[in-house]
Amino acid sequence: MNYLLHILIMCAIYLILALSLNLLIGFTGLLSITHAAFYGIGAYISTLLMVKMGFNFFLTIPLAILGSMIFAVIVALPSLRLKGDYFLLSTLAFQVIVFSILYNWIALTRGPYGIPGIPKPKIFGFEFGEIPVYFILAVVIAFLIFLIFKQLYFSPFGRVLKSIREDEIVANALGKDPTKFKIEAFIIGGGLAAIAGSLYASYVTYIDPTSFTLDESVFILSIIIIGGTGNLKGPLIGTIIMLFLPEILRFLRIPDTIAANMRQIIYGALLVILMRLRPQGILGEYRFE
Amino acid sequence: MIRTNRVSKSFGGIKAVDDVSITFYDKRINGLIGPNGAGKTTLFNIINGFLKPDEGEVYLNDLRIDNLLPYQIAQLGLGRMFQDTRVLGKMTALENVMLAAKNQIGENPLNVFFKYRRMQWEERQIKEEAKRWLEFVGLQDKIYTNAESLSYGQQKLLTLARLLAGKNEVLLLDEPTAGVDPGFIPVILNLLKNLVKEGKTIILIEHNMTAVLEVCDWVFFMDEGKIVSFGLPSEVLGHPEVREAYLGL
Amino acid sequence: MIALGFSVIYNTSKVFHFAHGAVYTFAGYTFYTFARLLKLHWLPSILFAILLTILLGMAIENFIYYPLFKKKSSLMVGVISSLGIYIVIINFIAMLFGNETKILRPGVEKAYEIGTVILTRIQILEFLVFVILSFFTVYLLKFTQYGQALRALADNSNLASVLGLSLKKLRLISFGYGSFLCGVASILVALDVGMDPQVGITAVLNGAVAVILGGVGIFESAILGGLAIGVVQNLAVWQISARWESAITFLILLFILIFRPQGILGKRRRLEEL
Repeated sequence: MNYLLHILIMCAIYLILALSLNLLIGFTGLLSITHAAFYGIGAYISTLLMVKMGFNFFLTIPLAILGSMIFAVIVALPSLRLKGDYFLLSTLAFQVIVFSILYNWIALTRGPYGIPGIPKPKIFGFEFGEIPVYFILAVVIAFLIFLIFKQLYFSPFGRVLKSIREDEIVANALGKDPTKFKIEAFIIGGGLAAIAGSLYASYVTYIDPTSFTLDESVFILSIIIIGGTGNLKGPLIGTIIMLFLPEILRFLRIPDTIAANMRQIIYGALLVILMRLRPQGILGEYRFE
Repeated sequence: MIRTNRVSKSFGGIKAVDDVSITFYDKRINGLIGPNGAGKTTLFNIINGFLKPDEGEVYLNDLRIDNLLPYQIAQLGLGRMFQDTRVLGKMTALENVMLAAKNQIGENPLNVFFKYRRMQWEERQIKEEAKRWLEFVGLQDKIYTNAESLSYGQQKLLTLARLLAGKNEVLLLDEPTAGVDPGFIPVILNLLKNLVKEGKTIILIEHNMTAVLEVCDWVFFMDEGKIVSFGLPSEVLGHPEVREAYLGL
Repeated sequence: MIALGFSVIYNTSKVFHFAHGAVYTFAGYTFYTFARLLKLHWLPSILFAILLTILLGMAIENFIYYPLFKKKSSLMVGVISSLGIYIVIINFIAMLFGNETKILRPGVEKAYEIGTVILTRIQILEFLVFVILSFFTVYLLKFTQYGQALRALADNSNLASVLGLSLKKLRLISFGYGSFLCGVASILVALDVGMDPQVGITAVLNGAVAVILGGVGIFESAILGGLAIGVVQNLAVWQISARWESAITFLILLFILIFRPQGILGKRRRLEEL
């Protein structure tokens, strides 16, 4: 039972990541692979504030979001001036650089040694220590974020983002400033991803940079590509599929040594097949065409 | 009032627009005609802000706009209908038209949360207005259809509705009757005349000479990037040079 | 010095701008084919490995990219597909051969001193191969029929097809040749420092940076780009510390993208809106 809860907690965390990346990719059409960096920045800010300065978990969240948002602006400004492929490369560059900083700036982040002993969230003396309790915390937070994105997706703001994705020229002709909206998408998408980081850090109580690599960015990307972009259902189903798949493999008694690779192969194959046959993902709305 | 002053634009050695100075008639329907490749759409693009002129300026009511970004020009009330319809395919017709409303409160993400009630109210207004315009152009049955599923003529109507919902003062229409059901053309032309009565300024690019004759108050004839002649439609169309340029069209 | 090899690779594959993903796989794959070397004697194994690499590259183009191209899919679709294929292939390799680094020539290599630099035999070989292949590639592109066709294609794909050049064939050729170069580079590197399933991605990214640095659109510029990257990387490692190598590479990339997107030798491309 605890194990199931564990998976569901990870689902909650990844759902936050998926929904926020969806704002960028599914809604605005900005193919970005910087997301693991936002995730990581959120995690590290939260962690450092809690471990080194004794902040309360809930207090670190707004600060983590703020830090992530600042980073989002830094990424957005140069990257948005580039088209297509180059935009992607730019976001990739930022992702790698952030990872490098997390990994190599030992004085701040202890690099590859990681930061252990991250405390569990406490509020009014009550500690979210046990798994079932943490599960509730994670689900509540994820649900709140879900509602936030629901509002955004269906708002005029979301509508403008979609128009930018569809045809930036028309968006211009209708009086919408594409650059402003893209930056806003970045700030919101990147900023809220930080929450996932904070949740993750306190859950596993130890973080190191290897959780926030380029591969991780690609994984989050895969979630929404496979599950579907441009709406709420896509990220949801994507998260569930991607996180339960390894368990299914385990169930089928595939040896652990090749399970990890097997899993990746399935992800990769799904990406290729979907792009060819069903570019909108399983339940998505927007077809990459 | 819209005017251009000595505007020129070249693309790799070809002068698409050559020293064009036009003052468009305010609150009237202006026609911009000429053979294909004459530079009409390029001129539109320049006025709209999508291209910067190599030389010359564009003025909207004495405000210089050629140095502004397209969205800024659109905000000033200059609407554009494109030659290829450019509907937002994967959005519904209703969404397409709702987008046209300017300065929506809900476009600011913070307002989505902090001014929720006002946003909701405004959304309802915008929705009603959008529906009205869609009904007006005859698309009331297709409100919830994705724009890409509409026929070409219907998409044209959609862009018209979009323009109208945008409450623009100046409308640049690139071939509004092309692809439209012939029975509906008079409706569009009538609409244009009514819009002018409401104080709008319209500039049309058209190849349909009957429409031009019927609806334009003033016509500019453009060929190879230059304004060759202008005046009343009947005069311009009777001009021998114009007839010659149109042979084979 | 390693980066030099890769730059030669990517300049051809990048003709169609799918390099991002495509090449990930090539480099990864050459690892795979090359592992066969362990089983066979070296010369035939190299030949087989390269042959298979070429075939794989062409297969990917044929089955994955070309259909998408025909459907006029956007770039995003291509990139995502390449990512997908990359993941699949790399993991196959990892499954078959394990995730650890494999060294192919146990023991210490014979080294020579040239000035203040110490180079092993393999590294000298790398350099020589690089020089030879660079000239060879330039020659091919400039003087052969196919080479010129490829250049035309890079310039303007629509125009080229109108001129009667078979798009499909040319693309296949370009992928084939690109894979060839990739394979050579990969084998050399593997002989030098060994390999693991992850070399692919570093290689590709370095190569991509090299191409952009040198200038997209002009094939030869990648050579310059690769040289530049190689130099800068090694300088950086020398001055700062090896750990920051990738960060520096990407900082360079960002710099270039922001300030001089056409690279050192690239052509300025004007993007008109409509």
